[in-house]
Amino acid sequence: MDKPRSDEDQQLVARTQSGDPGAFDQLVVKYTPRLYGLVYNMTSNHEDTNDLLQDVFSKAYKAIRGFRGKSSFYTWVHSIAVNMTLNFLKKRGRRFQLSLDDVDASIQNDKEFLELTATSSPVREADLSELQRRLNEAMMKLSDEHRAVVTMFHIQGMPHAEISKILRVSEGTVRSRLFYANRQLQNYLDEFRKNPVA
Amino acid sequence: MNEFDDNEIAMLLRLKRHEQPPPGYFENFLHEFHRRQRDELLRQPLWRICLERARDFVFRLNVSSLTSYPAAVAAVLICAAVISLKIYQGPETTVAVQSQPALSATANAEGQWTLSSPVATRVFSTQPLRNLSESAQTHSRGRGTPPRYVLDSVPVSYEATFKF
Repeated sequence: MDKPRSDEDQQLVARTQSGDPGAFDQLVVKYTPRLYGLVYNMTSNHEDTNDLLQDVFSKAYKAIRGFRGKSSFYTWVHSIAVNMTLNFLKKRGRRFQLSLDDVDASIQNDKEFLELTATSSPVREADLSELQRRLNEAMMKLSDEHRAVVTMFHIQGMPHAEISKILRVSEGTVRSRLFYANRQLQNYLDEFRKNPVA
Repeated sequence: MNEFDDNEIAMLLRLKRHEQPPPGYFENFLHEFHRRQRDELLRQPLWRICLERARDFVFRLNVSSLTSYPAAVAAVLICAAVISLKIYQGPETTVAVQSQPALSATANAEGQWTLSSPVATRVFSTQPLRNLSESAQTHSRGRGTPPRYVLDSVPVSYEATFKF
């Protein structure tokens, strides 16, 4: 996913700060799909994601007067989303149900999916919903902080530097969290390889 | 049997991008956002709504920057005015305070001016300041209380001032 142009965002932020609510609507429309993916892959629940996303934009709208542009709007709004989601996950604890979105039909034409089904026997043998369930279960076994890093790096395609700005940790911390999370995911998915249709 | 390598895990995770919310979700999201904002606004007390509106108005006008220069100039002018008043009126006010009894005394003395000292400028009229009954009422309130002796406002031994 490409990072949106920040100068365009700056103009929209300036217009919002000068009292144009329509400019903030444009920011909402622009960032909803991206933030949805971030929050959804951290919570694995559609309803929670919807509520959280509404709260994220509401908080951003209230706080935008104080936004001085030291970071880009992209980084700023992602920070709000990640922090609010992490706080929510701490409150929610382990009591939750997976409420997964449907896998888009376009996955059948995805180059990586075709490659995986060609080379990886578990992926080839499992149906899509089973594969999705296994992946999400593996993700939910990670700690909240590790899941956030995995989501931003692997799913959202953000660079390490951007993740470190959003989480306000060093790039080294981001890399070590990713390494640890990958090892854990390998272990969890190894079970999937041994028993693909369990 | 090989384990998933890092590349395969990355590819698997990237497939999660294909998980999408129900159709029309993103189109309705903005309407839902507006609806929630309105609901939230209605739950707020009236004073807070007014306060926020006023704050928005001030923020939009950028009143602080607009008023900073005139406010600074006004503050300097006020300071200058206060200092100049202190400087020029300072000695006069002390004289006025000292001579105030004399002026009031002369005003009461039927428009007649005297050359005596300020303490003795008052021209005494033949009328007593208080009659005896008034004095008795004032100084002996109750029969049970012991009498109090109060010096009269004008000493008897004072000589009458010269008139011109």
